[in-house]
Amino acid sequence: MVKQFLLALVSTIGFCILFNVPRDSIFKAGIIGSIGWIVYISISDIFDSTVGGAFVGALTIGILGEIFARLFKKPATIFIIPGIIPLVPGAGSYYTMLAIIEKRYTDAANFGSETIFIALSISSGIIIASTISKSFRRRKAA
Amino acid sequence: MINKSELKELLIMAMIAGRIMLKNGAETYRVEDTILRLCKSRMNIKYAETFVTTTGIFLTVEYGEDVISYTYRIKSRKIDLNKVAMVNDFSRRFVNSDMSIREGKSILGDIEKSTTYSKPINLLAGGASGGFFSLLFGGSFRDFVSAFIISLLLVGLIDFLDKKKFSFFIKNILGAMIITVLSIISIEIGIGESLNMVIIGSIMPLVPGVAITNAIRDSISEDFLSGVSRGIEALIIALSIAFGVGIVLRFYISFLGGVHNVYGQAISISSSFYNWLLHII
Repeated sequence: MVKQFLLALVSTIGFCILFNVPRDSIFKAGIIGSIGWIVYISISDIFDSTVGGAFVGALTIGILGEIFARLFKKPATIFIIPGIIPLVPGAGSYYTMLAIIEKRYTDAANFGSETIFIALSISSGIIIASTISKSFRRRKAA
Repeated sequence: MINKSELKELLIMAMIAGRIMLKNGAETYRVEDTILRLCKSRMNIKYAETFVTTTGIFLTVEYGEDVISYTYRIKSRKIDLNKVAMVNDFSRRFVNSDMSIREGKSILGDIEKSTTYSKPINLLAGGASGGFFSLLFGGSFRDFVSAFIISLLLVGLIDFLDKKKFSFFIKNILGAMIITVLSIISIEIGIGESLNMVIIGSIMPLVPGVAITNAIRDSISEDFLSGVSRGIEALIIALSIAFGVGIVLRFYISFLGGVHNVYGQAISISSSFYNWLLHII
């Protein structure tokens, strides 16, 4: 678990630099990414569903991102975009393509639909988090 | 109350702010929000409305007896979150102080030109992200080394192609093909162990994860037009990566024997490769 955490941390930080996240936010975004990854693998293990894992992981990332955004006065995107990178189904889309070129179309449909559902669940997790945070902001303003 | 030329300046400044944000990966609603906030901060504007899509910004303001409108077309997009954060900061400062419009414009110009990280750091970060991703997905240390080197080269290549203004389609196809060729070479000369792990790690800097997520996010928050255009962008990027990787792997499999056992450890095909070489010679 610790090893996974550290690996996710380093790869998220690498992506932070590629995406030009401001210097003072790199480490925070890295922490968010690795927490999201840990949640993702644990939930996927417990419920035996990568789609559910990706949803809960993205939800965690979204909520943490909104909280960090509030704390450090930065747009939440800065924390969320690098954070979700480990969850993004790059491997899934690769296996889909591999199955297609090897003419294993059933496998391709399996991997492909899983990839699409993971992408959907990641974005709905983030949307839910940002909607929650918006409603809180409105309540404060009122 | 200010005069018309100042109003124009203000609109242009809001437009520049929106352009920087949109070009560097901000969400649609944030761009619209920032533009409107900047417009409404300075004078009693009767009506201001903006319509932002992934490929352009339209802004119309009614002031006194006049209606002024601006359009800006966005052609290339990348992700530079530091600029988004800086413009966000700037808009907050501009609204809450009485900074002059000229000052605001010069600050925005500085933001647009700024670079956050030097090139070597960028390359190293690309290498690290690719390498550590292949570890994260279950690759071995040898896979890490080859994915590190390959994605480092890939980030350099993408940078170069960006400077030469290649279209994003060509960029992704070329990138994916070169990754696959290099991965196969790394397996063949015995640096890498599992072809899948090396390729998966190295394509991570190309994968349009952000574009997909932003597309769905835009659509869910009712920005359907940007949602669709971002979605198409993501789809084409994904297709071009698949095409680039697929075509090389296809050649590899049919001409060199390739990987038969795809889901377990990839089988190194050194022997069949040498047979093939001998055959050619």
